Amino acid sequence: MATTKKSGRPAREADAWVVIPLFNESEVIASVVTELCQSFEHVVCVDDGSSDDSAELATKAGARVLRHPINLGQGAALQTGFDYVLTHEDATHVITFDADGQHRVSDALEMLELARSKRISAVFGSRFLDKRTKPGLKKKVVLTVAVIATRVFTGLRLTDAHNGLRVLSRETISKIRMEQNGMSHASEIVHQIAKARLAWREYPVEILYTEYSKRKGQSLLNSINIVIDLIVR
Amino acid sequence: MLSQWVLMGALILVGVYLLKAKPSASQQAIRRLAIIAALLLGALAVLFPSYTSVVAGYLGIGRGTDLLLYAFVVFALFYVVHQYRRQLWQEKTITDLARALTLVRAAQEDQAPTNKTKP
Repeated sequence: MATTKKSGRPAREADAWVVIPLFNESEVIASVVTELCQSFEHVVCVDDGSSDDSAELATKAGARVLRHPINLGQGAALQTGFDYVLTHEDATHVITFDADGQHRVSDALEMLELARSKRISAVFGSRFLDKRTKPGLKKKVVLTVAVIATRVFTGLRLTDAHNGLRVLSRETISKIRMEQNGMSHASEIVHQIAKARLAWREYPVEILYTEYSKRKGQSLLNSINIVIDLIVR
Repeated sequence: MLSQWVLMGALILVGVYLLKAKPSASQQAIRRLAIIAALLLGALAVLFPSYTSVVAGYLGIGRGTDLLLYAFVVFALFYVVHQYRRQLWQEKTITDLARALTLVRAAQEDQAPTNKTKP
């Protein structure tokens, strides 16, 4: 495994595998992976047919990079990551993490701690449980639609349905199967966890809205796609 | 009017098909029967054009031409929905294929950890 070894660091998490769906994020992916590798031994990037050098940069930064031969979508990339992690017996948890650098590694570590200590199958990051994150108005509308849609279709009362930071136990990822390739997978994960009656919890996290992540954010119209994907499948 | 019931029923069926269609043999059989029926009815309409107006009259539609137009709209809508569903199934197949390829490659790379990074 290509990992950057630094002596004197506290032991890195070896049982929790980080899965990052990667698509054309060459500007930030190296720093995201480098930071994660300081805390986690296994960082898996699923390159979803990037046309830039994201995959090479992630590999150099220390990630294990899987490559989709064609672009399939973020949900498909996550599912591939889950399948890959399940082939490794030592993995007890999966952490899903966005490639654009909007999540904090410390949040991921705290969520992992919570999942372990309380034996919770799924811990979802939520940016709306405290006041740290300040999304713009447009973002708020998109996320509110997503939250309402998720409530209607899954019955789970999440406050932030489309947060990319999650900690899922091995049992959880072996029980769920995402078939929505696009952005609707976030609601789909929630839906299947609700159906499998797994224990879940939300955890307050901060989203770092950089200029970069704002530029790449979801459009208002895409929330309509998410709703329709959930109805017609 | 009878035609309104028939047309609403047809549109609801198209809607159900949009939500529930699965690639199953029985649904394929039904689709094929529908196509055969449409061909037969089409042939009848060509051979006896005046009867389309008679049928239209029974249904409460003014003219036979209007009946054909309605039938065409419903058929076209069904076709669009069917193609849409087909595309969804195909996407799923392609996804499974691409994922399998990715995982096989990954497993190969894991077995031979010779630090060569492929471009």
